[in-house]
Amino acid sequence: MSSTSYIPIEERGVYGYTMERDNSSQTVEDRNASSRSSRRRFLQASGAAGAVALTAGCSGITGGGSGSDTLKMGVLEDQSGNFALTGIQKYQAQKLAVEEINADGGINGQEIEMISPDPQSDNQRYQELARRLINRDNVDVLFGGFASSSREAIRPIVDENQQLYFYTNQYEGGVCDTYTWCTGAVPEQQISTTLEFLTDEFGDNFYTIAADYNFGQITAAWYRKVANEIGANVIDEEFIPLDVSQFGSTINRIQEADPDFLVTLLVGSNHASFYNQKNASGLNVPMNTTINMAQGYEHLRFDPPALANMYVGVNYMQEIPTEQNRDFVSRFYDRWPDAKYVGQMAQNSYFTTYLYKQAVEKAGTTNQDEVLAVLDEEPMSVEAPEGTVTTDPETHHVTHQIRLARADEEHNITFRNQQAVEPYWLRETPYPGCDLTQTVGASEDEEMTQYEPKGV
Amino acid sequence: MGGETTTTVDHSAPDGTLSRLRSRLEGPNTLGEGRAFWLGFTALLGLLLVYPLFRSSYYVSNTAYLLVSAFLGLSLCLVWGYTGIFSFGQVAFYGIAGYTFGIVSINVTGPVGTVVGLVVAVAVAGAFAFLVGYFMFYGGVSDVYVAIITLAVTLVLNTFMGQTAGEAWAVGAARLGGFNGMTEIPSLALGVGDTAITITDAAFYYFVVGTLLVTYLGLRVLVNSDIGYVMVGIRENQDRTELFGYNTQKVKLGVFTFGGVLAGFGGVVYASWGNYIDPSVFGITFAALPIIWVATGGRKWLGGAIIGTFAVTFVSQKLSVFGGQYSLVILGALLLFVILVLPEGFVPQLARRLPGGDES
Amino acid sequence: MAAILPQLLNLLLQFVDSFGFLVLSAIGLAIIFGMMGVINLAHGEFITVGAYGTALSYHAGLPLPVAMLVGVGLTTVFGLVLEFTIIRRLYGRLLDSMVATWGISLIMIQGLRIVFGSSLSSIGTPLGSVQYGSFSYSTYRLLLAGASLLVLGLLYWVFTSTEFGTRARATIQDEEMSRALGTNTNRMYLLTFGIGSALAGLTGALYAPTMTIVPGMGSTFLVEAFVTVVVGGASVLVGTTGAGLLLGFINAAFSNLFGTFAGRMALLVTTILVIRALPQGITGLLDDVRGGT
Repeated sequence: MSSTSYIPIEERGVYGYTMERDNSSQTVEDRNASSRSSRRRFLQASGAAGAVALTAGCSGITGGGSGSDTLKMGVLEDQSGNFALTGIQKYQAQKLAVEEINADGGINGQEIEMISPDPQSDNQRYQELARRLINRDNVDVLFGGFASSSREAIRPIVDENQQLYFYTNQYEGGVCDTYTWCTGAVPEQQISTTLEFLTDEFGDNFYTIAADYNFGQITAAWYRKVANEIGANVIDEEFIPLDVSQFGSTINRIQEADPDFLVTLLVGSNHASFYNQKNASGLNVPMNTTINMAQGYEHLRFDPPALANMYVGVNYMQEIPTEQNRDFVSRFYDRWPDAKYVGQMAQNSYFTTYLYKQAVEKAGTTNQDEVLAVLDEEPMSVEAPEGTVTTDPETHHVTHQIRLARADEEHNITFRNQQAVEPYWLRETPYPGCDLTQTVGASEDEEMTQYEPKGV
Repeated sequence: MGGETTTTVDHSAPDGTLSRLRSRLEGPNTLGEGRAFWLGFTALLGLLLVYPLFRSSYYVSNTAYLLVSAFLGLSLCLVWGYTGIFSFGQVAFYGIAGYTFGIVSINVTGPVGTVVGLVVAVAVAGAFAFLVGYFMFYGGVSDVYVAIITLAVTLVLNTFMGQTAGEAWAVGAARLGGFNGMTEIPSLALGVGDTAITITDAAFYYFVVGTLLVTYLGLRVLVNSDIGYVMVGIRENQDRTELFGYNTQKVKLGVFTFGGVLAGFGGVVYASWGNYIDPSVFGITFAALPIIWVATGGRKWLGGAIIGTFAVTFVSQKLSVFGGQYSLVILGALLLFVILVLPEGFVPQLARRLPGGDES
Repeated sequence: MAAILPQLLNLLLQFVDSFGFLVLSAIGLAIIFGMMGVINLAHGEFITVGAYGTALSYHAGLPLPVAMLVGVGLTTVFGLVLEFTIIRRLYGRLLDSMVATWGISLIMIQGLRIVFGSSLSSIGTPLGSVQYGSFSYSTYRLLLAGASLLVLGLLYWVFTSTEFGTRARATIQDEEMSRALGTNTNRMYLLTFGIGSALAGLTGALYAPTMTIVPGMGSTFLVEAFVTVVVGGASVLVGTTGAGLLLGFINAAFSNLFGTFAGRMALLVTTILVIRALPQGITGLLDDVRGGT
């Protein structure tokens, strides 16, 4: 099978449903959509009255934007601090999208004003700036956040103010929130398809090293879950604190375990040193990740063969050879000639901006409740550089085009096995049982839970 | 004041409740005394009280949020500026109190739960400060070694809390959340049942201003009292103070514990404001911030701590909005400038130029 | 027995690696702190300058050892300039020096990011690996441990056998007297700060081929440097070596047995306990043992 030619979407019984779903049972009238938005409006009015009368209760004005000539888009991406490497990419990609849309007449004739203060990779700044954007600038839509902790820091504020919020990063999954749309890839999309390929290719035994925090731990749990389902075997796991950059003992343990392949879920520049050190110690084992290469472009930053035989299940990398992507990449570098890479998260920010545009055009207004209602009505597709991306109203996540990317000894990237994978896990009943199309409620009832796989 | 009916009231008279009050609030350990100062102070207070009437709820809430850091600044000022204990660890107490508040108020629901959470959190922070203080001061640790131990303690908490992500890491219904932080922390609410006032927006503002005022005045009394003199004595020359017969270890421990309580209170209010807390409060960047605030404002003066904290947090927030990539560079340059040019902090400099300021 | 041998060898090599890392992280800071009582919170950034200098020269085409010299030179110059303009006003003001150097650190990290972007291409680690049983270890890393011993030895020679070294020790012991006896203490401080900077630059240059080159890379070294200096105490050589041995062993042992998280926690907890038990650090302990001052 040629790994560089375009592979059409396959249907797979186990890991995803087909992309086209029968939506005939989901007519607008059947839904509570219209009654929900009028219920929301009622709550909004009483909330506003309550806020005037008492100091308690909802703050801020919901459904901002008054039909003026500009539409305000709040963007919180790290332009300094530890996460600036990816934050700057995301900012640049979003700015490109905004400029393209504005040059093309804006959204419904309204020009987008992008307000993007710098949260400096600092969660307290995220909290402060989110409040500023929502309560002072009255943004019509909020984008942003990098680490899951930054998202969790601002979700209370988002929910309290019933603010439409897009989190465009890959993350560990599990957010089921009325006002939040997560357009990054989640573990079931990135792991399910790739793990089976790897066990077929290399063997059943693998060893996991992961960053010692939520993302690393939950993703490692996902690997255990999928391994159970397909009969693979996790030899051992090691969790490494984020500020460790010396991996001598880790490498020795991997050598001792002698796995068929190594799963690396390493985060941050300290952890990235692992690849150099592994290479220097002569440890040659195929690797799999969900997070490296696709945004931190380690394959370009490190000399070969540090990342040789690294596989990543990913929705996007700059190297994707489709016509659509090549066009996007050249436009990106035309606009940002000094940029070093345009990666997964940046592309997510780009297509999500277009997704938002589509939703506003369909709703006919920037009123946040209406836009949320439109997004919950039925799946919406947008043409992204990765291919066609479709929203999933039940979970507020999206179906991605997942490919298995491989870096060879020279760090050239090849792709195979492209397929559309839905974010199926959150919908599973009885657990987690997320169905946001059925949600009716004021923000006080919003659950902040982040679901994780249980019993693995 | 008795029943005086003279047409001019002499506030400098030695008796009378007003001047007795003032004499407790004034002294060489604080800036600002005299009638002009207190008039100015009252005017400022008045402005603060009417501020919500003129500005939208965002500005009011944000100003209050910036003021919350003043508790952390004051705790460091008391511990470092007045007693010479250079602690890198005030944020540890801030964070512990924040997490404890979260744990208690999530488990004990309702407004009463939040008040209980506040009390327990502050007590736990104080207890922890007591333990660390005892460990250090009764072991003869001083100067830079205190800084290192407190920093190490803070980093231990950072590393530890960062990996508490799983389901197993929960206290009752409250999940510690690891690196992603603890969510769904309720806001403080004073009162019972439905009549409770939730401390958000304007209520939050008045709560912060009120508690800060009480704290400031209380601390003024403290540092101008006998204990205050002992604290300053320890700062200037611990051995000599000991030779005079004072139990310096006990005083240091007491001050350090109280500093922990103050910082803890700030932590509770922060957690209540954001309904969230995460291990970054134990990070080295945040640990250095109180030092920056207090050094800039003037670490030896309470007013300096409050004003310095507010000024630096305000400027640094503005920079993040407008400064783009340069905001951290500007902040660093500001620090350098203050240390090199105004090593005492800018507030004492200002005070000297104003009437009613300290002449020394 | 044969099964244990590779394990023991693992532990030994990890210990040696850890020792080297701690010593090299700390030595620049130790000299500056020991001599001048300045706590340089920008120490991590000095290391970063060394790494950046090395990486930029290497990518410009210079061979690696030459690139490393460039890195060291750059850092030395940088340190001298900083001393002349800022640091010399802060002698004796321990805590103010912490705040000022923290400000310098902020400027440098973000400044490097603005000028060079979020990351430089890294340098591949040279010299391959050494195999034993089913394990292997990077030869270069073992070399680094050797380098740390060399540095310690060199400093020992400088401090005991050169005139500069004697004057330096005199100044550390009693500045006034030393000045009275004719030492130009200002120049002494300048030179010592230069040496401390050069050593920090050397650390950056040496570790550059093993790490990612990002503006914030100094923070990896900072905590280790601090705990080593503080546990070591006032004496540069004895303290740093002793602290390196103790903390290196603890870190290696716990990491080997229980994982890197345990290693990290053990390091911090040991620091707390040692400072409590030995307020003057290891130097104090050895002084007591020797019955010295």
